Amino acid sequence: MNTTAHPVAPEEVMALLDGELSASDAQAVSNHVEQCGECAQLVKQIQSTSQSLSRWNVETVPARLENSITSLSAKSGSSLKIGKPDLFIRTSFWTWKQWATASVGTFVVLLLVAAISLPRLYRPDSLAVFRPMEDSANGSAGKPQIVAKLATPGEIADQKSRVDRDKIAPPNSPVASASPVAATDSDGQSLTDQSNIFSAPMIARTVSLSVVVKDFAAARTSLDHILARYHGYSAQLNVNTPENAARGLQASLRIPAPELASAIADLKALGRVENESQSGEEVTQQHADLVARLKNSRETEQRLRTILDERTGKVTEVLQVEQEIARVRGDIERMEAEQKALEHRVDFATVELQLTEEYKAQLNPPAPSVSTRIHNAFVAGYRDASETLLGIVLFFAEYGPALLIWLTILLLPAVFLWRRYRKTLATV
Amino acid sequence: MVAFSRGSADAFSELFSRYKQPLYGFFRRRVADPAQAEELAQETFLAVLRAAARYEPRALFRTYLYAIGLKILGAHRRKTAFRATFLGTAVAHEPAMPNTMDAELLLRQAVGKLERLDREILLLREFEKLTYAEIADLLHLPLNTVRSRLFRSRMALRDLLAAPVPKPSPETLTESEGRV
Repeated sequence: MNTTAHPVAPEEVMALLDGELSASDAQAVSNHVEQCGECAQLVKQIQSTSQSLSRWNVETVPARLENSITSLSAKSGSSLKIGKPDLFIRTSFWTWKQWATASVGTFVVLLLVAAISLPRLYRPDSLAVFRPMEDSANGSAGKPQIVAKLATPGEIADQKSRVDRDKIAPPNSPVASASPVAATDSDGQSLTDQSNIFSAPMIARTVSLSVVVKDFAAARTSLDHILARYHGYSAQLNVNTPENAARGLQASLRIPAPELASAIADLKALGRVENESQSGEEVTQQHADLVARLKNSRETEQRLRTILDERTGKVTEVLQVEQEIARVRGDIERMEAEQKALEHRVDFATVELQLTEEYKAQLNPPAPSVSTRIHNAFVAGYRDASETLLGIVLFFAEYGPALLIWLTILLLPAVFLWRRYRKTLATV
Repeated sequence: MVAFSRGSADAFSELFSRYKQPLYGFFRRRVADPAQAEELAQETFLAVLRAAARYEPRALFRTYLYAIGLKILGAHRRKTAFRATFLGTAVAHEPAMPNTMDAELLLRQAVGKLERLDREILLLREFEKLTYAEIADLLHLPLNTVRSRLFRSRMALRDLLAAPVPKPSPETLTESEGRV
C-alpha cells in the first residue's frame, strides 16, 4: 500500500479510526475507504488489533491503596503537612542526563580549582623567597620600599679595626680577653699564649628584638645614635613606608659584645617591646681546634722553607717542595680567615631588630583616581586570566598522563557496566 | 483538580475514584510486580496531593496525571536497572498466573516484543485513550512521529499475533511478561 496508488496514507486511515482527523479530512478518507478494498482491509486489521488488546485486563485496585490515599487526602484537607508514606517515595526525578551534566559540571569546577591552586603550590622556591617582599609591595599598592645595605665588607672590616682600637673592654669580660689581636700575628710565636688566652669560653651571641614605637622618625634617628655610641654598625637595614599603613624597619645590627647589654637597654627604650629572645653559641672548642691546626700548618710551612733554603737537589724536587709550601700556605690563609670570622662573631653580637610604628588610620585616606583603578583592574584581570590558563596547562601537563592511564584502565569496565545497565533498563 | 487545589477534599475523592483504576492499570501493564505497581500508583497520587497548591490547568488532568506517572515509572526503571547492574539485585518478574487465558498471555508476549517507544505509544493510545497530541506532549515527540510509530506498532502487533507462536516455556513466558 502506497500513496501513489492511494490518495490517503495508511496512517490517515488509522487516524480516521482514532478520531484524529478534522471533519473534512475524515469525510475524504472515509469516502476512500468505502471505495478501496485494501484500505477497508487495513481498517479491519487495525480494529482487530485493538480488539485483541482490549482482552488485556487488569485486576481491580487493591483496597490497601485506596485506604492509604484516602487517609492522606484527609490529612491534606485538614491542612496538615503530608509526610513520607509508608511505602516507597521518591524525592528526585533527575534523569541520567541531568546526573551526567551535574557530574561533568562538578568535575570542571574541581578542575578549575585545582588548576588555580596547584601552580601556586608548585611555584619555584626562588619565587617563593621573594614572595613576602612582593606581597608587602602589593599590599602597599605601589608604595615606596627602601632597602638599604649600609655597609660593604670592606667598610665592616674598617669599622672592626676601628672598634678594636677604640674598644674599652671591662676587665672581667671573657670576651674582651679573647681579643683577636694576638691571634692575627703571623709569626706563630704567640700561638701558645693565645691558647691560654682563649681558655675562657667564647660565646657568639644573638638577640632578636621587636619594638613598637610611637614616633618612627625619632626612633630611626635614635637607632643611628645608639649604633654610633656603642661602635656598632648595621649589616643590613630595610625600611618600609607604605601608604595608609604602619611603617616598619628591619635591621641586622652588629654590636660589640661587651656593650651588648647597654645597647639592648637603649634599643628597648625606643618603644614598647613586643618580643625579645636571646641565644648564645659556644665556639670555644671550635676556635681551639682551629688555632691548633693553624699552628701545625705554620710549623709545617716553616720546616718546608728550611728544607728549601738549606738543601740542594734536583729541580723537580725543588719544585715539589715549592708546590707543597703553596698548598700549606693556602690552608693557612683559609684557616686564618675562618678564625677571623669566628672571632668576629664573638666580638660582635648580632641584634635582629624590628621596629614597627603604631599606626593611626587617617579618616579620609587619599584614593587613587578612577582611571588608575580601571587600569589596575584590567591588569589584574589579565594577570588572573593568564595565570588560570597557565594553571590549566600545568595541571594537564602534570596530571594528564596519569589521568590518561587511569581513564584507559577504567574505560573498559565503565563501558561494560554502562552497556549492561542499558540492557537491563530495556528489560525492566 | 482546580477545586481540590482550592481546598476541596471532595474534589480529590472524585478525582481519585475516577482515575484510580486507569492509573493502576497504567502501571500494572508496565511493571511486572503487582506490589510495585501499587506502590507507584500510590506515589503518583501522593505527588498530585503535594503539588496541588502549584497546579495550573494548562492541560487536561489526565495528561498531567500520566506525565507524573511516566516520570515515576522512568525513575523506577532506572533504579531497578541500577540495582540489577551494580548491586546484583534480581529484576522482578511477574509470577505465573495459572488462571490467565492463553490468548491474553500471547498478547502480553507480543506487546513485550515491540520496541519500547512504539510499545509506550501503543499502550498510551489503546489503554489510556490519549490523543496523538497528548502522547506527543507526554513523550516530547513530534505529532507525525507519534502517528507513524503508532501505525508501525499496530502493524507489528498484527503480524506478531497472526504468526503461529510455539507454546512458550514457563521461563520464557515470565521474562516476556516482565518486559511489558
